[in-house]
Amino acid sequence: MIGAVISVLFGFFSEPVYEALYYSSGFSEAMHNNDAYGIVAIIAIAMTWGIAALYYYVINSVKFDRWYHWMSMLGVASVLTPVVCFIVVGNLLEGMDYPTASATFEIYNVIVSALLFTIASFSMRWWSSNCRHTPIPQ
Amino acid sequence: MKLFVFAIGGTGSRVLKSMIMLCAAGVRPVDANGRPLQDVEIVPVIIDPHKSNADLKRTERLLSAYSTMREKLYGKNANANGFFATKISSLKEVVSSSQVPLDDSFIFNLAAVENYKFRDFISYNTMNEPNQALTSLLFADYQLENKMSIGFVGSPNIGSVALNGVKDSNEFKAFANVFADGDRIFFISSIFGGTGAAGFPIIVKNIRQARNIDAKNKAFLQRAPIGGLTVLPYFSLMESEDKQDKRIDNADFVVKTQSALEYYNNTLTGNGRNAVNAIFYLGDHGHNAPYAYDPGDKRDQHDPAHLIELVGAMAPFKFMSMSDSELSDPATGQPLPTKAFEYGLEKDTDFVDFSSFGQETRQLVYRPLVKLHLLYIFLRTGLNGMIGQGFTEDAPKITREFTGTQFYRVLTQQFFDSYLEWLTELLHNRRHVTLFNEGEMEMAKAIHKVVTKKSLFGYKKVDNDVFKAEMNRLSRDNSSYGSNAELKLMDLFYTAAEKIITERYDNIN
Repeated sequence: MIGAVISVLFGFFSEPVYEALYYSSGFSEAMHNNDAYGIVAIIAIAMTWGIAALYYYVINSVKFDRWYHWMSMLGVASVLTPVVCFIVVGNLLEGMDYPTASATFEIYNVIVSALLFTIASFSMRWWSSNCRHTPIPQ
Repeated sequence: MKLFVFAIGGTGSRVLKSMIMLCAAGVRPVDANGRPLQDVEIVPVIIDPHKSNADLKRTERLLSAYSTMREKLYGKNANANGFFATKISSLKEVVSSSQVPLDDSFIFNLAAVENYKFRDFISYNTMNEPNQALTSLLFADYQLENKMSIGFVGSPNIGSVALNGVKDSNEFKAFANVFADGDRIFFISSIFGGTGAAGFPIIVKNIRQARNIDAKNKAFLQRAPIGGLTVLPYFSLMESEDKQDKRIDNADFVVKTQSALEYYNNTLTGNGRNAVNAIFYLGDHGHNAPYAYDPGDKRDQHDPAHLIELVGAMAPFKFMSMSDSELSDPATGQPLPTKAFEYGLEKDTDFVDFSSFGQETRQLVYRPLVKLHLLYIFLRTGLNGMIGQGFTEDAPKITREFTGTQFYRVLTQQFFDSYLEWLTELLHNRRHVTLFNEGEMEMAKAIHKVVTKKSLFGYKKVDNDVFKAEMNRLSRDNSSYGSNAELKLMDLFYTAAEKIITERYDNIN
């Protein structure tokens, strides 16, 4: 529950969070003007929670229940989410030329995605039959 | 209900060993509706003066291991469901008073017998000449010289004298005092040897004549429901290296059996006798394996397990399942005419597997034994790699330290070593009892002539991972184990096995 609240709060306050992590005058203003921070936050939340749900309830396998399996999913979520966000942001800011700033922003988004995936994991793992003790025992 | 099981002689110990295996697998007596009987407690009493007998020692060790594990799992509670469900207690454990000193052992103390030569036991040397002459007519020289610490060497005429003193022992008095209304008695003995053939009728006689003993419950004892497994010849003996040594001779087995059956008919089971409420006859004359010659002083009497012992071990369950009205007159409480049972395989073959048994036997033992065997494989190949994951992390946790506990060591080493030895002996005896494929540690291939069900891509999988997944699920939904990690492990596996066997194996019923 706390994890869900944190994620929702992040959705609402994504702009100050992202700007606190990375601010570049032209790029950040363009992100603000196009409401892109909110969209990126929603994508990040949806993807990290989705990948966590995939791990705990779809894969949910005794062959994939060790901490390093979870770490691999963390890696997937932390890479895939910024990649998708990078593409979406590229489309939103079409015509504006911020490739370097956008890429740098996504590096910070890796950290955000990793945190969101961790929060999602610890929020939903309780009911997983095989992975509820992953990455660390409850 | 307490069932006092008197296991007499070498056959008694061996059948009891098979019975322990069945109890460990979770086999329980059921009522007419197939529901497990409640409050059952088995009190085995091994009667055998030959204490160095390896079969006796193996059974005693197994009984101790069973008790240790059972107490850890279920405490003193008589009602349980799962592996080791049936409570097995020693006589000392069920005797509440300390009026009579007893060894905390499953073995009847026969010190009054076993320390003597038979000649000294009957005070031959102090007899007058006519009595000595009469005694010499009744007993051969080798019988008079027999040291009874090696048993009665196939001589029921020695046993019938020596065991007559059983009624004066502390054990018998304790048994007579603790026996209560509703309890039952079962005897396991062979009829072609010495100790069992003699011990069974003598102890029955002493029970039926309980009015002569000083016991508070003697009225119950006198009309106690008594069952007996009488094992007819099912093995033979190789010739002695010493050609002169004919103390036990195969050629006598059938004659001795015929004589004893006649005697039983006249005293225990025949018309108007009814001293025994139910008697179960078992034998395997055509397929008997020759065992090494051993009257008791040649080797350690380490005889291999046999199909007859496995089948015989089911007789006490059948006896417990019989209602009171089947055994005794409800109005008077007196025994009804003796009910006699025989046993036949569904298919008479030298290569016995589960399909060779009849439906009633399969219903009783098939699933429990499969579960026990899968547990054996799981503990030997699976659990260690699972510690720190899944169900082992739910409270109560199953940690690395758990595998060093007395319970775990007794289960995985002492008990399962004995189990494997038992299976191997059954397999390599003349009747090859192949319940499970020897050495096969793949669960899907372990049960002889049984495959897993077909799936879309081949056959359904049964392995440690399948068990782990099911136990994970069960553990998530069940938090009723308190701090008993032993019970958690065994109960989760038992419940998981029930589901997996039903869903994934073909025709285990």
